[in-house]
Amino acid sequence: MEIRAIVSVADAITAASAAYDELAERAEEIEDEWSYVNDLADAWRERLATVADARGDEPAGIGVAEAVAALAAEARAIDDPHRAIDWLSTFPQVLLIAVGERP
Amino acid sequence: MRFQDAAPDARAIVYAGIQADPLVARAAGLLADATPDQRVLARAAMNGMSTDAAVWRIVFPNLFGPAASAGPERERSESILGASLAVAERGELVRQQVRGAIVEELTERLVRRRAGAGAGAGSAEATGSAPSVRRERRILFDGVRAEFHPYDVTVETPGAAEAIDCKWGARGINADVLHQLDDARTHAADEEERLVVTLVVFDARRSCDVRLARQTAPSEATRVITIETLDDLAR
Repeated sequence: MEIRAIVSVADAITAASAAYDELAERAEEIEDEWSYVNDLADAWRERLATVADARGDEPAGIGVAEAVAALAAEARAIDDPHRAIDWLSTFPQVLLIAVGERP
Repeated sequence: MRFQDAAPDARAIVYAGIQADPLVARAAGLLADATPDQRVLARAAMNGMSTDAAVWRIVFPNLFGPAASAGPERERSESILGASLAVAERGELVRQQVRGAIVEELTERLVRRRAGAGAGAGSAEATGSAPSVRRERRILFDGVRAEFHPYDVTVETPGAAEAIDCKWGARGINADVLHQLDDARTHAADEEERLVVTLVVFDARRSCDVRLARQTAPSEATRVITIETLDDLAR
């Protein structure tokens, strides 16, 4: 999703989800943590879906589109699976703050 | 139950150098007064890929965008970003150690804000090491072999003793740390002493809950402080 297509809170969450999925794939490379990685990602996807359901139609705030693009780029630059696991928690916290939610 | 300095082994000596890094005190001092959003900024920037401040100002529009008016909060956000990127610019191993030391220092500073815990001045930077709040201490119990790892922070006030371990992220929660904390609590109870055991995690509660749900080690009696509730350490 292009930056200019991010108009609503739902758009922001949808746009970020692809990068989050890629982050989870990278984190899965740590085989011992495979199920933790998936439980963690599912827990945060659930939280993001709750926000999208509740506030999805609200307009994204000023700078949110650019924030999502920069956050996604940051996540995609992570090549270390250990750091990717850490970022599976960080990424949604940052995204939720950007759209005006508490993590 | 009694507290004792940990033996200064090689790990402790090396780590003491990390703990003494001025960057650790600088970051912890800023984070002690930070908002929840500013603490998440620190978490992201310290362990991010980009060390370009401009990128993080875009990522956090609520802290640096048009809605964030000039003033002390904006200045603190800038200072936290600067300190966090200084951590990020260290090599990977050092950055991990510095991050951990920052969480410990932050914990100590917040605990010292408790009434009666900080010798009145209320901050580690002002008081040095007040006798009731200590770092890297073991807890000894009669007839029980001492744990190998010292506790990151201890409160040694009679009647309000507490053992605190600190973790950067939820992934740091493991059976060893949970067992050590709960064992200390139960050993204290065996001696008819009360010992609060606390795990401080610089990560979101949701992530900690996912990690804790996978553990079979006892955690019900362990207080878990997360990035959202850090200020509870001062109460």
